[in-house]
Amino acid sequence: MVIRELYIKNFGKFTERHFYLEDGVQVISGENEFGKSTLHAFIRAMLFGLERGRGRAAAKDTFTRCEPWENPGYYAGVMRFTCGGRNFRLERNFARSVQRASLVCEDDGEELSLEHGDLDMLLGGMSPGLFDSTVSVGQLQAQPGQELYEALENRAVNYFETGSGEIDIASAFRLLREKQRSAEREVREQEAAREAEQDRIRMECQYLEEDMRTLQDEYAEKKIHLEKLRAQEGAGSGDMPEKSRLSVREAAGAGGAGIPGPGKLILMGTAGMLAGAAGFLWSLFLKSSAVPMLSPEPFAGISAAIAAAGLLLLAAGIAGTVRGKSRGVKEEAAGKKAQPKPGDVQMQDEERRLQGEMDHIRSAWKEKEIRCANLREQCEEQEDSDTLKNLYRRQQALALAEETLKKTAAEMGDWTSGVLVRRASEIFSAVTDGAYRWIRIDGDRHLSVWDGARSIPADRLSRGTVEQLYLAVRLAAADILLEEPVPLLLDDVFAFYDDKRLESALKWLSSQEKQVIIFTCHKREEEIVKRFVYS
Amino acid sequence: MKFIHIADVHLGAQPDAGPLYSENRQQELWNTFEHVIHICEEEQMDLLLIAGDLFHRQPLLRELKEVDHLFSTMTRTKVALIAGNHDYIRRDSYYRTFEWSDNVHPLFGEELEYADFPGLDTAVYGFSYHSREIREPRYDGITSGRVEPIEILLAHGGDQKHIPIDIRALSSSGFDYIALGHIHKPRAMEKDRIIYAGALEPVDRNDTGPHGYIRGEITESGVRTRWIPCACREYVHLELPVEQSDTDGSVRERIRKCILEKGNQNIYKITLYGKRDADISFDIKRIAGLGNILEAVDETSPAYDLRRLLEENRDNLLGKYIARFAGCEEGSPEYEALCEGVDALLASRG
Repeated sequence: MVIRELYIKNFGKFTERHFYLEDGVQVISGENEFGKSTLHAFIRAMLFGLERGRGRAAAKDTFTRCEPWENPGYYAGVMRFTCGGRNFRLERNFARSVQRASLVCEDDGEELSLEHGDLDMLLGGMSPGLFDSTVSVGQLQAQPGQELYEALENRAVNYFETGSGEIDIASAFRLLREKQRSAEREVREQEAAREAEQDRIRMECQYLEEDMRTLQDEYAEKKIHLEKLRAQEGAGSGDMPEKSRLSVREAAGAGGAGIPGPGKLILMGTAGMLAGAAGFLWSLFLKSSAVPMLSPEPFAGISAAIAAAGLLLLAAGIAGTVRGKSRGVKEEAAGKKAQPKPGDVQMQDEERRLQGEMDHIRSAWKEKEIRCANLREQCEEQEDSDTLKNLYRRQQALALAEETLKKTAAEMGDWTSGVLVRRASEIFSAVTDGAYRWIRIDGDRHLSVWDGARSIPADRLSRGTVEQLYLAVRLAAADILLEEPVPLLLDDVFAFYDDKRLESALKWLSSQEKQVIIFTCHKREEEIVKRFVYS
Repeated sequence: MKFIHIADVHLGAQPDAGPLYSENRQQELWNTFEHVIHICEEEQMDLLLIAGDLFHRQPLLRELKEVDHLFSTMTRTKVALIAGNHDYIRRDSYYRTFEWSDNVHPLFGEELEYADFPGLDTAVYGFSYHSREIREPRYDGITSGRVEPIEILLAHGGDQKHIPIDIRALSSSGFDYIALGHIHKPRAMEKDRIIYAGALEPVDRNDTGPHGYIRGEITESGVRTRWIPCACREYVHLELPVEQSDTDGSVRERIRKCILEKGNQNIYKITLYGKRDADISFDIKRIAGLGNILEAVDETSPAYDLRRLLEENRDNLLGKYIARFAGCEEGSPEYEALCEGVDALLASRG
């Protein structure tokens, strides 16, 4: 593609201006403020149209910058070019209300359609991004805080690994990692919620287990108590086998019948010979009278007798038939006021009461145990929610995407960097007049150049050489990545070149069968070109 | 002889109901069960058949007391029940010791037994689960004993771990009616004869569709049954196709409308699928916050014209990346990886 004419109807500072261009190296020189950048922007706008930015970005976009200074409603231009041996006329109107474009083949008057991609085809599918990253060359710009050579390395690596100047592989990886992090965050949130639910259930289990332990202790205590009761009962009725409780009770009842009534207790008390069996029965009676069953009329004599019985009881305690510590004392005190009655009935009541309590504890314990087991089951059954499953899948997908992208990029790098580095080396060698022969890129993605004897890392190169290296990489990329030769636009790229290198560069450029449009504010480019074109 | 057949009541379950219902949902299972008891009484049913899983787990004593009390309020209806895999008769189960009211006839044995109801000319057969799983096809060889003119079988199971059931074998077993339980979706395996009543209330988020019980009548001319919906809610899986013209807001609007149409009382699980505009992403949390929504899942993928992208980028990283995933199916993790990578690469172009 060769641009023949730029007819600026109204664009930026230009109104009704024609620029005629030839094939080969074209130099457009002018002083500052001449409008070189406007021309550059005009070519881009003709090729790709002018998208109006939105919001605040609009204030600084090309549309606004190049809006005609006078009569902004009229914002248009024409570009005539040759492509594949045919001549075309591309006309665009950029004004807000009437954005329009037409493309006509001047040879046969055929009207082509931009909507159907006819222009894209002529451009060999070059996108605006690819245009910016290959044929449209400005001075190398570093990001704030970035060394120039780093900017160069980034660019070069990108070309090598993506096979396209447009794709920024570092930012693609960054994006994938950001997504991974956010997915991970969500997973953690979900898992924490699930964990909290599990904790709640486990906590409830714990409470239940504590309750169960308490119940068990209570049960054990009552059981000991009951066993003691039965043992005493057994002893009192002549070691009846524990198994037949009914007969034990009957025996105890029979024993009780033989005991003299309360009135005669004083006498009996004085009679020491009664100590054994009677005393023991008494102790049983005292125990059962822990249940308030007190007579309202206390008899002093009876009390005394009970006191004596208490002594006997104490003796029995020492003898080993044991009684619970403080309780024994309390019962003893209560017993002092109790109406003496046949002990066996109360003993049976006590036993029954204990048994009842134990049954109650047992069923309360079992209820809790079943509830606890149910909760544990519930805990085990808890499944991942679909949201969580979805998130896990997404994490997997993102990891796979990153891995595949890495592999593809590495492969791509092997392939493109071979071709690209070779081509860039040729150009670099030509531009530097053979001072450097090879560009190398190492595993850590650092650039270095080979001067025939030494390998020099890019960070040691002068500004001018870095610029030349940059130009070489971009031109190589344009060569390899673009299907159709598109005019090169070089905007003030030679400012740091010395005369010798400039001459070599221009010589190399003119040897390419390609239109090269150089924008410059210096006279020397034009002079050099003239010199070797006419020589 | 008139009967009602219920199954899988799952009393004591805490169905997944999202933030809105979780407190009440448990109670609702009891309420609906109570409702069925009232219907038995009102319509003076002869039999209430419970085909297993009356409880979600091992019943607590107080729960059994509640249930038995409800049974005891029925003046005419007699109850026959078996234990299913959920409330199987564990070694320490209260089922073993509980004293039921006179009108309740549990068939809790491990082997087939029957309860005879001479007044109804009916015998009800069945056995109960004594373990969580039974893998043997224990219903296959069963035949009716012909002790009464009307013979009914209570059966629970129908999947691999829970007594696989061969419907043909059941069909030739000679029973007049077979009340099935275990499968939560109501379904007649043989019209008017072999029927899954389905869960009385949906218990799990996957129990979609309406739920209820079977009301039947057996006369000399045969059996007639009717399925009657009575659950107070449904779980609805709303699968919403998304188009390229959709935005976050438009999707929310459509969901809101759908919920209004399908009933506000229901509990929803929303799944978005289809191709969305590559620039649009859906705020799933906001969608889930619309109310009555248990869960919302986004399974859409961005609408990339992958073939065109591949064509246009044959020689660069994007094209090579796409080519690496050649042949992967939409919806697979690979496809998702493909979309994520393409998204990142396209975004990096700025």
